[in-house]
Amino acid sequence: MDEATRVYVKDASKRFGHGATVVHALADVTLTIEGGSFFTLLGPSGCGKTTLLRLLAGFETPTGGRILLGDQDVTALPPNRRPINTVFQSYALFPHLSVAQNVGFGLKMQGIARAKRDARVDQMLALVRMQDFAERPVAQLSGGQQQRVALARALAPEPRVLLLDEPLSALDLKLRKEMQIELKRLQRETGITFVFVTHDQEEALTMSDRIAVMSAGRVQQIGTPREIYAHPANRFVAGFIGESNFLPVTVADGAARIGDHRISLAAPADPGPATLAIRPEDIMLEPGAALSAEVTDTVYLGNAVQIMARLEDGTQIALRQPATIDLPESGQRIGLRLPVEAVQILEAE
Amino acid sequence: MSAGQGQANRTSWSLAAPALALLLIGSIGPLLIVLVYSFMTPGDYSGVQRPFTTQAWEQVFLTRDIFDDTLGWADAHMTIFWRSVKLSVLTAVITFLLGLPTAWFIATRPPDRRALWLFLITIPFWTNLLIRTIAINEIIRNEGLLNQVLLKLGVIGAPLQILYTDTAVLIGMAYVYLPMMVLPMYAAIDRFDTRLLEAAYDLFANRWQALWHVVLPVIRPGILAGSILVFVPSLGAYVTPRVLGGGKNMMIGNFIELQFGQGQNWPLGAALAVLLLIAVGLALTVYVRVLGGAGRADG
Ligand SMILES: Nc1ncnc2c1ncn2[C@@H]1O[C@H](COP(=O)(O)OP(=O)(O)O)[C@@H](O)[C@H]1O
Ligand SMILES: [Mg+2]
Repeated sequence: MDEATRVYVKDASKRFGHGATVVHALADVTLTIEGGSFFTLLGPSGCGKTTLLRLLAGFETPTGGRILLGDQDVTALPPNRRPINTVFQSYALFPHLSVAQNVGFGLKMQGIARAKRDARVDQMLALVRMQDFAERPVAQLSGGQQQRVALARALAPEPRVLLLDEPLSALDLKLRKEMQIELKRLQRETGITFVFVTHDQEEALTMSDRIAVMSAGRVQQIGTPREIYAHPANRFVAGFIGESNFLPVTVADGAARIGDHRISLAAPADPGPATLAIRPEDIMLEPGAALSAEVTDTVYLGNAVQIMARLEDGTQIALRQPATIDLPESGQRIGLRLPVEAVQILEAE
Repeated sequence: MSAGQGQANRTSWSLAAPALALLLIGSIGPLLIVLVYSFMTPGDYSGVQRPFTTQAWEQVFLTRDIFDDTLGWADAHMTIFWRSVKLSVLTAVITFLLGLPTAWFIATRPPDRRALWLFLITIPFWTNLLIRTIAINEIIRNEGLLNQVLLKLGVIGAPLQILYTDTAVLIGMAYVYLPMMVLPMYAAIDRFDTRLLEAAYDLFANRWQALWHVVLPVIRPGILAGSILVFVPSLGAYVTPRVLGGGKNMMIGNFIELQFGQGQNWPLGAALAVLLLIAVGLALTVYVRVLGGAGRADG
């Protein structure tokens, strides 16, 4: 891990407006982004992802807290004095300049000599496979091509950190998948710290080294994709990343009780009312199991079937099974097993 | 081309016909008359008469010495012409320098306030040009408001002679034509995507670099339109130099008027008017070629 390119955000908060119309866009966000990693800010629209990114870029100053790059405090530095570049959601390419001039803009502003600049621009255009478009006006490019130019432009000055604000959201699905792979490749090849913003949990899971899940201006959980998926810290994360069932339970003696059915727990949990979270694909069908439910609906998903059922206490539960099984009918009773390793105990509602 | 398209073209032509007719009658007609007059002989008191001659055109450039009858360059005409071009260019520059921050200011107000600011900018148009120019006269003349205030404050010991100088003409023209610069620039800045500015800062540009390398090139169409709208009428300005420049600091418009009035030399006036038109045409062509080209050469 690279010390100089580590980003450290300490107790950062950001308020917009004042009085009755104040918006707390960020509240006491603390996180560390390791140098050279692919770090993702994930959360629903309006949760403060863009605001955090703009604090890192320097377009906004935090109302409280500090931002460090390596061991340098950059909180008060204007954007043009931070070795951090941005790929804007709308690309924000300069319409009056050619592709090559766009890519060379940052280098030109840094006062880098023409010959060196041209060489670097060529190298960047090769990196994003846009060599053949160097002299084109940017208005003549497709969305995907503009995206590549925006990437090359932001990478050309060799920033220590690259910020990407939902860079793929304007692309169609096929192009988006291609660019996801492309971005991962670029990050590996350049070794630059990427801070990537998305509201798409699948995108976050497939691309990131680490993810910060955000909600309402706060960081809910930080971890690897696997940690976040398998061990969501709270109900918000469990519900936002993938799908989860939330069952009201009572914890006692190292077991969770649903009605009169007991599930022994792998990890210790505080006694009392709690919420049990389990993914639909982790629930097993087991004829004659102690926990039984009544099928209310089945949905064919192509590679799987989703079975909706009602537990004896009335709680709705969803489970996912391979499409090859014999589909139970509505009204039929099925036995369920909740594997202990897939069960997560969260705070009660 | 398909029959349907031909039909559509004919329809659009016939829709434009009344406007074209008006333009032809209103601009080409008088222009032809002026052109013809410039090749005629001055009438006995005013107007023109035959025979056709190039005498007026010779007078534009050459002058006959009243003592020894030799021909020399018409220095007076050249001086007036040069002053007109100089003052018009300066007017465009001054209105640009004042207009850019003004237009930027208006374009960055909340949307519901912009209409109000634009409205304020156009208020001077409500008053007759002559009245407004006389008002400027009241302000800058030796006993006027400006000198009174400066004297009271002790900034100056004696009144500044501003009236009847080129400076006075410049002040007047900048005042009169400022809205013509602000409005098209406002329209261009309003379309300007401010995220481009953030992109420029992000890529290490300081404020001046962002202005020079991003804002100005992107709003160039507005600057182009504004400076044409200021330069062209400035070159032909008549009221402002007359009221604020006095008799000495004539511009080409005043000189042309003189030929049609006291001078009783309509052909010379007509020739000067045609020359002015050609000069404007040339200047605009060069200007648009240089500034309006597909892109600047620097990278
Ligand atoms: N300039 C601003 N003025 C006022 N409120 C803002 C401003 N920018 C963002 N906000 C508010 O802050 C919150 C977070 O916004 P944002 O960071 O854009 O969220 P996200 O990028 O996650 O969708 C939202 O409620 C938004 O309305
Ligand atoms: Mg956003």
